[in-house]
Amino acid sequence: MWQSLALALLWVGHGVWVFLGPNPGRHWTSLADALSRPSQSLASRWQGWRSARRDAARSFAETRAENARLAAELAQLKTQAAQEAPALSEAEAAVRLLGLKRQIPLALASARVIFSTRPATYGGLILDRGADLGLVPDQGVFVPEGIVGRLWSVSATQAKVLPVDAPNASVAVMLMRSRATGVLQGLGSGRALIRYLSNQEVVQPGEAVLTSGLDRVFPRGLLVGYVAEVTQGDLELQVIVHLAAPLDRVSHVLLLPSQPPIEVQSPFLAPEQKVQRKRGKP
Amino acid sequence: MRLPAPSLLRQNLLCASALGLLFLSAPFPQVQAVLHALLVLALAPRSEAPLVGALWALAAGWAVEGTLRLLPHLGGTAWADLTLVLFASWMAGRWPLEGLKGWLLRLAGLSVLHFLVVHAAVALAAGPHPWGWGWLWTLLSVPLWGWLSWRLLHAGSATGRR
Repeated sequence: MWQSLALALLWVGHGVWVFLGPNPGRHWTSLADALSRPSQSLASRWQGWRSARRDAARSFAETRAENARLAAELAQLKTQAAQEAPALSEAEAAVRLLGLKRQIPLALASARVIFSTRPATYGGLILDRGADLGLVPDQGVFVPEGIVGRLWSVSATQAKVLPVDAPNASVAVMLMRSRATGVLQGLGSGRALIRYLSNQEVVQPGEAVLTSGLDRVFPRGLLVGYVAEVTQGDLELQVIVHLAAPLDRVSHVLLLPSQPPIEVQSPFLAPEQKVQRKRGKP
Repeated sequence: MRLPAPSLLRQNLLCASALGLLFLSAPFPQVQAVLHALLVLALAPRSEAPLVGALWALAAGWAVEGTLRLLPHLGGTAWADLTLVLFASWMAGRWPLEGLKGWLLRLAGLSVLHFLVVHAAVALAAGPHPWGWGWLWTLLSVPLWGWLSWRLLHAGSATGRR
């Protein structure tokens, strides 16, 4: 009996010794690993999910911050563009005026429109230059698009322009094709009426109307506008003209010298086709 | 016809001699493997005194591993030897020897089993290890050391001679 017990102890002891191996803890470690593998897998997945959610939240926050930054930058740029728009417009107008000034062989002066009283009765445009620039009344005022009016009154540092569409304004004009002359009288709102045109004249809508130079305010050939409507009157034609110059949006103007010569090289002589296309007529 | 068991003194002397040779043959692993199998499978098992055989087997296993100086954790061979000697003792009691042929066959089978159990136990105790070719030498030389052990254990008895 005791031999069997001793043998059993020997065998079991050696077996345990063999089973434990060089690193006895590895069995417990492997057992614990095996038992905890499901929970480790769950924890790993949970950690991965949290990490992904954190990354997504961070990217979302970054995107929102970038969006806010871009929105602020866009608003700033819009504000800047709005602030610079008048300056750009003025610069563009100045460039166009400079080009026009080089085309006309006259001593032209330029001025800036600082105020507009056109909505009021007998209103006009106020320029920032007056007698200081040697301006005198009845000097012609024009822009690259066409004539604007004439100087009505001149003070020391300012001058008032009587626009072409004012009821009390008149300009000597002629029709481009027929060369028939008449007197342009303002109707307001960028429209004017040509008077003293004979019923025998043939006038078509879309025809260009130029200055005739007979009033000694504008030289011959400056663009005034385009014929918008022609009706037969009792004695004369009723020709309505749409003025070419944008009187409500003029910021810089050129001033002709007083009593200019009748004939100068006109920069406004545009081809008739182009004029018709511009007016949208067939 | 059942053979009488050798005397305990003779068996212990033979085991001691084999153990000594086991130490001396440490520089020759193939020879040591054969002596190891001889001691564990042929000389040590004794059905009437399994504890003695177990001690000899343990000594053989520890001697082999100690002289091998190769494994990081010893004891696997000793445990396998203990297991095999107990199994062989049980076989000796269960199926008593009747002749040299049966003895050689039994030793061949036990050699294969011993080889497998030893390497399994060593793998369990020390991890992966080189198997070597000692098992082949042992198996090939079964007739030699089996006959030798037969002669040594049963010499002098009438039935021990062929």
